[in-house]
Amino acid sequence: MSKIIVCFKWVKAEDDLRIDPATLNVDLSKAKGKISEYDRNAIETAKLAADASGGEAVALTYGAADAKASLKDAMSRGPKQAFWVNDQSAESADGFVTANVLASAIRKIGDYSLIICAEGAADTYAHQVGPRIGAIMDIPVISFVKEMKIEGNKLTAVRKLENSFEQVEVELPAVVTVLPEINPAPIPGLKAVLDAGKKPVTEFKIQDLELDQDDITRKTEVASFKGCSTSRKKIMFTEGDTKERVNALVAALKKEGVL
Amino acid sequence: MAGIYVYSDNSELNGELITLARTSGQEVCAMALSDADAAEIVKFGPDTIFILKGQNPIAESYTGAMAKLLTDQDASVFLVGATVRGRDIAAQVAAKVRCGLISEAGNLTFKDGAVQANRFMYGGLTEQIETGKALTAVTIPSGKYQSVKNESVKSVVVSMTVDTDPRIRLLGSSPVVKEGADLSKAKRIVCAGMGFDKKEDLKIAEDLATSMGAEVGCTRCIAEDRGWMPASTYIGISGAVVKPDLYLALGVSGQIQHTFGVRDSKVIVGINNNEKAAIFNVVDYGIVGDLYEVAPLLTEAVKNS
Ligand SMILES: Cc1cc2nc3c(=O)[nH]c(=O)nc-3n(C[C@H](O)[C@H](O)[C@H](O)COP(=O)(O)OP(=O)(O)OC[C@H]3O[C@@H](n4cnc5c(N)ncnc54)[C@H](O)[C@@H]3O)c2cc1C
Ligand SMILES: Nc1ncnc2c1ncn2[C@@H]1O[C@H](COP(=O)(O)O)[C@@H](O)[C@H]1O
Repeated sequence: MSKIIVCFKWVKAEDDLRIDPATLNVDLSKAKGKISEYDRNAIETAKLAADASGGEAVALTYGAADAKASLKDAMSRGPKQAFWVNDQSAESADGFVTANVLASAIRKIGDYSLIICAEGAADTYAHQVGPRIGAIMDIPVISFVKEMKIEGNKLTAVRKLENSFEQVEVELPAVVTVLPEINPAPIPGLKAVLDAGKKPVTEFKIQDLELDQDDITRKTEVASFKGCSTSRKKIMFTEGDTKERVNALVAALKKEGVL
Repeated sequence: MAGIYVYSDNSELNGELITLARTSGQEVCAMALSDADAAEIVKFGPDTIFILKGQNPIAESYTGAMAKLLTDQDASVFLVGATVRGRDIAAQVAAKVRCGLISEAGNLTFKDGAVQANRFMYGGLTEQIETGKALTAVTIPSGKYQSVKNESVKSVVVSMTVDTDPRIRLLGSSPVVKEGADLSKAKRIVCAGMGFDKKEDLKIAEDLATSMGAEVGCTRCIAEDRGWMPASTYIGISGAVVKPDLYLALGVSGQIQHTFGVRDSKVIVGINNNEKAAIFNVVDYGIVGDLYEVAPLLTEAVKNS
């Protein structure tokens, strides 16, 4: 049975980032991991596509040791098995490296008909890994897809552009990058969570993949990483009843000259 | 010829990118996919326009030809407008020429054959400076740079027939009917979030907006999940980025991906019934309360003021 491979990323939850207001230094060490929001919609899309076309949905991630926790989470959302490229380098990889690693892993997994990525990951939101995978593997890419249908060997999709919707078709295998609105991502039920613990996981090391040194060397460098400053007045109207608070707000906005 | 190569499927962005590329002092070469596109681009005076002529009407099918041109010409930077097509094209070309891609960049500078740019991470909570040494692809969102016409330069036009990828086939296209306000120019915006229970209740936001001469915007959830408002009216990192004098959020939790789009507002106001809502970390003025009670009172107060 040919595979529908969904690529998902285990990202740091932004709510847990600590930004020092004075230095704007960012502390990621306390941040918990999560499956990037839109990747959850991509996983659901893979599951539905597999159900409809008779393929097997499988999940793939490239992540450091802490991504182990993501595998069960991902499989509880439908995929029948998970593949994990377990390497510390994932933490510092750019789009070039990430796509090379994922493309090699996909070749190794083999027998795929469709690769699904989200339009962008919650941390980078760079919109690049999906189209890069297609280009590396030399298979067609359809990006920013809001609807898709598989019939036999053919995939038709509706893409959302700035001013239009575009209907396109490709023959499989192909890469699609999906918009979150393609399918809502339901929270997995208890049974699905329990079942996920029994599903198989395959772990790869970078050395297992056919990659040379250049393939895994970043092309861009990060010269600095800082929090963005947000300095706002944060005046809360708490005195009096609602009407009085509202009046105080209107007075303040008048004074600001914005009403 | 070495230099900065520019492509966008949007003619305004072409102007912005060519004007930006000029600041590098390097040769500026634009790519066009038709004579008509080239006729638009010529107004901005790039040194050279390469017209790539292929069979497939989809711009994304030109990535192989673009990659070949960049390699053959020993380009130093590939600047692409960060539209939907532009993002896809930049990423595929970057993979084909095995180069880095700095996407949705700002503050781009060129020096000594290298580029440096800022980009936001974590929905706009953090920002990083990225650099690229050899050929680097960069996508730039619209409206970040000025576009200056320059008809004094007589662009050299090079027309070439290229191979396009036949595997992606265009079946049809339907325009998105533009509805809703143009938020980019609005002085005041009332923003509706998921604190609204039903579509009809958005009238409360509309009434408030009318009282203060504001436009109504919304969060992504209201537009994309609920479908209650047009997609063009949602604000945030994947929607509209606005800078009104007044942005007033009703029932908006204030997640970074949304508030990213309003940070340049002069005054930010939040009304939310949860005192712990993140919106209150980024407001100038806030009221903890039920929008169904606060907003109508506010409408009255504004009318009477
Ligand atoms: C990569 C990425 C990109 C994204 N891009 C965008 C984007 O561009 N734009 C965008 O908007 N979102 C974006 N999001 C989604 C974003 O993270 C939030 O999920 C979204 O903005 C939340 O919308 P909301 O505030 O309307 O809803 P919720 O988060 O559900 O908040 C509703 C709020 O209403 C309050 N409330 C409920 N009832 C009442 C009442 N009666 N009176 C007053 N308050 C009430 C609640 O306390 C709550 O705070 C993105 C997410 C990701 C991962
Ligand atoms: N480390 C990773 N492991 C698996 N999939 C990834 C990884 N990084 C990115 N992706 C996929 O590529 C998409 C786009 O990522 P980006 O280009 O970084 O915005 C994500 O939503 C995922 O589907």
